Amino acid sequence: MTDYAIKTEDLTFWYTPEEGQEPRKVLEDVNIGIEKGRFTCILGHNGSGKSTLARHFNALNLPRGGTVYAFGMDTKDEALTLDIRRALGMVFQNPDNQIVSNVVEEDVAFAPENLGIPQKEIRERVDEALRTVGMYEFRTHAPHLLSGGQKQRIAIAGVLAMRPECVVFDEATAMLDPRGRADVMDIIRRLRAGGVTVVLITHHMDEAVSADRIIVMDKGRCVLAGTPRDIFSYPEELKSLGLTVPDTVKLINGLDKSGFNIRKDAITISECAEAVAAAITDPVPVSHREPEKETPEGEPVLSVQDLTYTYSKNTPFELTAVRNISFDVRRGEVIALLGHTGSGKSTLIQHLNGLIKPSSGKILLSGEDINSSKDSLRRARSRVGLVFQYPEYQLFEETVYKDIAFGPKNQKLSDGEIDKRVRDAARFVGIGEELFEASPFELSGGQKRRIAIAGVIAMMPEVLILDEPMAGLDPAGRDEIMRNLLAYRDETGAALIIVTHSMEDAAMFATRMIVLSHGEKIMDGLPSEVFAREEELESVGLTVPAATKIARELVKRGLPLGGTYYTVDYLMRSVLRLKGGDGNAS
Amino acid sequence: MLRDITLGQYFPGDTLIHRLDPRTKILVVILYIIALFISTSYVTYAIMASLLIAEVTIARIKFSTLLKSVRPILFIIVLTVVLNAFYTPGEPIFSFWIFTLTREGLRTALFMAARLVLLVMSSFMLTYTTSPIMLTDGLESLLSPLKRLGAPVHELAMMMSIALRFIPTLIEETQKIMSAQKARGAEFDTGSIIDKARALLPILVPLFISSFRRADELAVAMESRCYHGGEGRTKLHELKFRGIDYAALAIMALALVSVIVLRNVGAVGIGGIDS
Repeated sequence: MTDYAIKTEDLTFWYTPEEGQEPRKVLEDVNIGIEKGRFTCILGHNGSGKSTLARHFNALNLPRGGTVYAFGMDTKDEALTLDIRRALGMVFQNPDNQIVSNVVEEDVAFAPENLGIPQKEIRERVDEALRTVGMYEFRTHAPHLLSGGQKQRIAIAGVLAMRPECVVFDEATAMLDPRGRADVMDIIRRLRAGGVTVVLITHHMDEAVSADRIIVMDKGRCVLAGTPRDIFSYPEELKSLGLTVPDTVKLINGLDKSGFNIRKDAITISECAEAVAAAITDPVPVSHREPEKETPEGEPVLSVQDLTYTYSKNTPFELTAVRNISFDVRRGEVIALLGHTGSGKSTLIQHLNGLIKPSSGKILLSGEDINSSKDSLRRARSRVGLVFQYPEYQLFEETVYKDIAFGPKNQKLSDGEIDKRVRDAARFVGIGEELFEASPFELSGGQKRRIAIAGVIAMMPEVLILDEPMAGLDPAGRDEIMRNLLAYRDETGAALIIVTHSMEDAAMFATRMIVLSHGEKIMDGLPSEVFAREEELESVGLTVPAATKIARELVKRGLPLGGTYYTVDYLMRSVLRLKGGDGNAS
Repeated sequence: MLRDITLGQYFPGDTLIHRLDPRTKILVVILYIIALFISTSYVTYAIMASLLIAEVTIARIKFSTLLKSVRPILFIIVLTVVLNAFYTPGEPIFSFWIFTLTREGLRTALFMAARLVLLVMSSFMLTYTTSPIMLTDGLESLLSPLKRLGAPVHELAMMMSIALRFIPTLIEETQKIMSAQKARGAEFDTGSIIDKARALLPILVPLFISSFRRADELAVAMESRCYHGGEGRTKLHELKFRGIDYAALAIMALALVSVIVLRNVGAVGIGGIDS
């Protein structure tokens, strides 16, 4: 008999509907078992019910039908609630909204304090938890001065201080940069090695790869369950569920379809390279560069000249956020702006439409200094559009239409022109006109995001800058936003500057990449040029796409594969060439 | 710009004053304020001022920082001084139009100003040298007898510490929302007062919505960490009176007694003018 940390039996749940409305089932007959000591991943698109499911594990929500057992305790038994929550800790998405105190160690002590643990033991638990997440040196710091990744580690420590037997991470990596995510994944591995049951709810397929078991949710039901190998052998099903498979699996499945005789159970980078190498007996040398996306020529529309910005000048807090940065932006370019947290990306992009005035240097828009007069600044605001991170948090109007119209109205356009702009912008982001009179707050997260982007597109900017436009969305949502943005570029010839943490995304869309580190521009070039400098990227807290890593592993295994690869498609074509004409051998 | 607000600012340190129990510091400030209000002579004000100077020196807080704390109420001080100086009846020194400066007035004005300045500075010294969390802990502990009367003392203290925790977060968020709306062409500093008020909507609505969302998420996170009210809670930092706390309280009590004894020494006071 298997020993379960969490077990649900015919779990059904709905939120109390508004009067006169039928309840909508968020969860329906969910029967899952999460084994003790294992690492289980729960996947599912936005709105599939996975977070609601997690909230049943520690009695935050109680089943309307069926039963949930946490370590054998029925969550409906109120007398057991505290025991359940102690045994089953939960970490949430937004680190800011989990931290109670403005001193790190006081925050970590919060749960043991609630449990009435004696003072001396609280001290031990707090120190132990902070050491586990590698934040002991920060114990007397104020949380609001830490990075997102560090804050999330504090939140995890706050849960570990309860010494739980199981920790549930509810999209706890969604808001973090690659370094922060890697740190959390590292903590998860250590917890599992220490015998703690781990449940991770995520959109990132590469995180699911290291799980012992995957559960896939769709429309409130558990639709697939099995090992990562089992689950990722259903790429078509995953796609129809708004998910995807890791790039390794994509490559192997693609090769398999092209008649390659290859082992199909490889999911990690090295397994994948091993499988590919094993399938090629007599390699033909290949040295093809991945074709660059068309790089637009012409006069620069935006030109950044020797930009430097210093915060809190002449105070003890003085900090130079960007230093001597210069680059030109041409129409039709798609620039991926990369850099770790604190590299100066946000400060840089806020200069481009004049929200921040440079300490020295200039920003020229069609040759005119945007800070030279009030009028040129106003022009810059509408010609250079800036979409902040999580733009849906800035929606404020009663209707979708009015919210999108806010920008054009501020541009003092005629009513007719405003109307046209709103309709065009909505079309670009795939928002139907039937939603125009709806309240933006009633819509789904993905829809809100697109409406907020439409609010900036409606100003018809010639340069559209977006800070992590895909953050927190599921794979289908990410693809959709990217398609929308590229359509805007194709139709209007605008330049796009996209700040992103995802190298795979950057590899897919960028015609050019700019890398910042500690406020300085350290790379600026074609994707192939930037990705070829893998070690340097890693030294500044970035990484390279999975395809680049697989290619490197193949070269290590002695395959004559030249050039730099960064998309799975092109790597696959080159691997097929490696194999030579005889597709049947091996 | 919003970052410059020094609401309850705390300057971390490890001096004798920093290490005092927060309850001691709160009690001392209360006694100090009482002493200020019964202080009516040059001698007593000198005692009060030297106490503050001693505290500031031990706590290694810069006097310039402390002077800044008075700036917001400078207007009130000037007004008090002017009114008292010119409208107190007594022996005239100088007269101009309807204003008559009297010896008594000058003296009263000086005392009033000293009282206000010392009052503000001593209160600020409390927040400068006590972390907000210690301050709330101290208040909760001092008010705990009221729990028996059914007052929600723990809940109030918890609310206060959460509010303090979220002030920087909300300031940052406000700035971000302002920038985002500016990027959409919003202007906050032009037009009539009504225009300006209306221009605040695109900031306030998202800010409110986000605060509710944060409150909701925080409540869930707190419940997940077994929060169930103040009952049976223990503390990482238990408050404990030590030798220096008793010493500090004794010094303050001594000062209070001397103020009471010496209040009529030297000359007439503000309260009782026996001319």
